[in-house]
Amino acid sequence: MPSSSKTDIIQLVRKPISPSKLVRHVRASSDGAVVTFDGCVRDNTRGRRTLYLEYEAYEPMALAKMEEIAAELHRKFSIGRIAMVHRLGRIEIGEPSVLIVVAAPHRAAAFEACRYAIDTLKKTVPIWKKEFFEDGAVWAEGELPPAPAETTAAKRAS
Amino acid sequence: MSVHSTMRVKVLFFGRLREVAGRSEQTVELPAGVSLGQLFEICASRRPELARYRSSLVASRNQEFAAWDSPLEPDDEIAFLPPVSGG
Repeated sequence: MPSSSKTDIIQLVRKPISPSKLVRHVRASSDGAVVTFDGCVRDNTRGRRTLYLEYEAYEPMALAKMEEIAAELHRKFSIGRIAMVHRLGRIEIGEPSVLIVVAAPHRAAAFEACRYAIDTLKKTVPIWKKEFFEDGAVWAEGELPPAPAETTAAKRAS
Repeated sequence: MSVHSTMRVKVLFFGRLREVAGRSEQTVELPAGVSLGQLFEICASRRPELARYRSSLVASRNQEFAAWDSPLEPDDEIAFLPPVSGG
């Protein structure tokens, strides 16, 4: 469990996420701002009543991609610690499915980094959501991650 | 065929693709030198319902997104990934 007070928390979990614990973890005495994104389960999709969601992940790759996002945040923004936790399995209405907390000396960097983190996570981290309705279930449409173009070797050969 | 001319790779399916493939994991024996795209064609020839997802998925090789023409190596871990929807 990465829980040293000096490090980021990057996790996939199967139990409810505790936002307050993560906020306490990231806040340092040099920080003047802590921004939290709490992605929670909505009770409908385009007016259709949602009962609950189920998430699955390609776990080792998802964790690696989340670590990459954290490293990128540290490069791009003047921030302190980050917590990025995604829950898997069945999640009920109103519960957080993803929590991102960024601490920084000043608020602008904390806001920007938090926004960048959730936008990037939604495009690049291999996690999938299935929505359960009263009359059936569907996989959420999602976004296709950018994949590398064809390799140079193959281009030369063709 | 000699033992050196084939190799095995592990293939993982996720989300709707796992449901279409009817399994989450499979070991596939292939001729050496086959590409990621050719591997998908082999999987789709065994499970024709997979074919129509080819244009709406990306592939990974050893947990990195990879181009369809990437050559495969023995014991690679390949995954076919539908559009992601975390968050």
